[in-house]
This record gives sequence, C-alpha cells and structure tokens, in this order.
Amino acid sequence: MSEKVLLIDDEQDFLDIMSERMQARDIDVTTASSAKDALGLVENGGYDAIILDLQMPDMDGLQALERFKAINPDLQVILLTGHATVEKGVKAIKLGATDVVEKPADIALLVEKIKKAHAQKIILVEKETEAKIRAILGSKAW
Amino acid sequence: MSTNQDATSTLGLSFVGSMTASISHELKNVLAIVNENAGLLEDLALLAEKGRPLSSERLKTMSGNIRRQVQRADDIILRLNRFAHSTHEPTASIELGEVFEFTAALVARLATMRSVTVTVVMDAPVVVPLRPFVLENLLWLCLKNIFAVTQGERAVRLGAQSSDGQVVITLDPGEGLPLTDIEAQVVSEGQALLAALRSEVSVDHEHHLLRLSLPQGQ
Repeated sequence: MSEKVLLIDDEQDFLDIMSERMQARDIDVTTASSAKDALGLVENGGYDAIILDLQMPDMDGLQALERFKAINPDLQVILLTGHATVEKGVKAIKLGATDVVEKPADIALLVEKIKKAHAQKIILVEKETEAKIRAILGSKAW
Repeated sequence: MSTNQDATSTLGLSFVGSMTASISHELKNVLAIVNENAGLLEDLALLAEKGRPLSSERLKTMSGNIRRQVQRADDIILRLNRFAHSTHEPTASIELGEVFEFTAALVARLATMRSVTVTVVMDAPVVVPLRPFVLENLLWLCLKNIFAVTQGERAVRLGAQSSDGQVVITLDPGEGLPLTDIEAQVVSEGQALLAALRSEVSVDHEHHLLRLSLPQGQ
C-alpha cells in the first residue's frame, strides 16, 4: 500500500520536483502552497504524513502544526526547514511534530521518515480500533 | 566610543543578524530546489540505465530550472554583498530613493512572510548626506514594528520630500494600524539611530503616515 503524503511549501518549484520524485517512489502526494490551503485538505483526512515547511507567508509552520493537531492529534507531521534552530525544533516536537528535517533534504531520509510515520499511523489506528472493540464488548451482555 | 555609538552598533548588529538570517533562509530554499533537480537527474539516469528513454526536452526544462535558481541565488548574494559593504560606508550624499529601493529589496522576504509589500514612491530625487546603513537600520525598525501589528494583506509605501532644508521621509501603511504605538516603539528601540541621523519620528494621523524628519544638511 503506498503512503499518502501532503506536501506543503510556498516554493512552487520545490513542490513540483519533490512531488515528482516522491511519486517515482510510489508515494501518493498531494501538494499545497500555503498552510491555509492545506487546512481543508487536512480536515478531509487520510494522510499518512504531512511534510510542512517551517517558514511560509500568512501562517508559519508552527502555527499550522498547532491547527493541524487540533483537527487530528494523531497526525504525523514532519517539519521541513531552511534553518532549524534548536529552539524551534524543540518547540515543534513539543507541539507534536513527528520529526524536523533540514533543507536541502536527502530524499532517501525523507522517504524513510514517511514510512515510519505511516507505520506509526497504522499502530495508532489499530489501537483505536482495539479500544472501540473493547468498548463494544464491555457494553454488551453476551 | 560614545554611549550613542555603542547603542547604534548594538542596533546595527541586531539588524545585520535579522537580514543575514533571512538571506540564509532564502539561499537554503534555492539550494533545496537545486538539490531536488540534481536528485531528479540521478533518478532519470537510473531509469535510463534500465532502458527508459531520456527525453531531451525534459533535460532542457531541468537545465532552465537550475539556471533560474542560480540567477536567483546570484541576486540574493549581490544584495548580501551590497548590504555587507553598507555597514562601513561613511557619510556621503545619498539619494533617498536608492536607499529605499535597496531596503525594500532587503526586507522583501520578511515582508512577504507577513503578507506585506513594500514599495517606493518618490516624486523627485531627494539627496541627503548620511550613512546609508544607519538609515536602512532605522527604516527596518519602523517596518519591523509595522509588520508586527499587521493582520492580512497590506502595502507600505516609502517616500520622501524636501523643503526649507528639511527632509521628511514617510512610511504609508494605509489605515487601521496603531501608528502611535509604532511611533513609541521606534522611539524606545531606535533612540540611538534617531540621534545619529538627527531625526525625529512623528505620526500624521490625518494621512495615516509615520514620518521621519531630518535636516537636509547633516
């Protein structure tokens, strides 16, 4: 099953080429050039991972991360940044980012992190399903 | 070194830090695109080795993309170089429109991050003897405080006029900003710069302008 990724960056050239390279690696990529545009896509759900640029106009990566996590706390968000300061990296992780990767990124490393995020999502979905089954079993007098 | 020179240097250092951080981020973005183009070339080469034909049109497009990013990086480096040299430029007769254009280009990325555009509107050239770096720094301080309170899209127009030996620089951010607060912030943070330029900051409430007045003969 291919990973479903939402790639958000205000650099259109970067979006075009990165999405082409990811698609060549069997990753199903949707792109958005702003966090505002991405909000609707995140609400519709279904992404294994979100790759998010830290610095963008209107809404920066950390603000976007907070909004995305408010929509779905289990979202796997990887922050991609041109200048990852330790302070911002720590803040991102505290806000629930899965990882912080510095630009220019190595695609092999990024794909590995996407696959890990995908695996983590499967674990979370399985736990959620298990909890639902337990709740159903507990509520029924068999 | 006098206390005012110390304060000007400290403000200058902070200004240089803000600009170089922004420029390094811009360069990282350029490198990221060049890096992905190189990666895609590698991908295509691997596919060609496996028998998939390599399209010359595709290669030309990629070459054009890389060339465009190299040009972009060159523009950024030229701006950085000019900025670096402006830090030690002595007092000289400067055409304000040129300083405004350069400052607008320097802060363009930070302005874009706040959905602001900075443009220059000069009716006629105004020449003032001053240290360009100090004026650039003062303009940045004003713009930074405008950006900090901006919500949504906004255009800021920089202009200047001279009459009776006095020059008035105007920053016109349009209606709806707390200009008195911005003025207070500029006075509080930029006292040393205002003193170095023998300048005063004020608000024109009627026209929604921030005004910097300075003597034409520094």
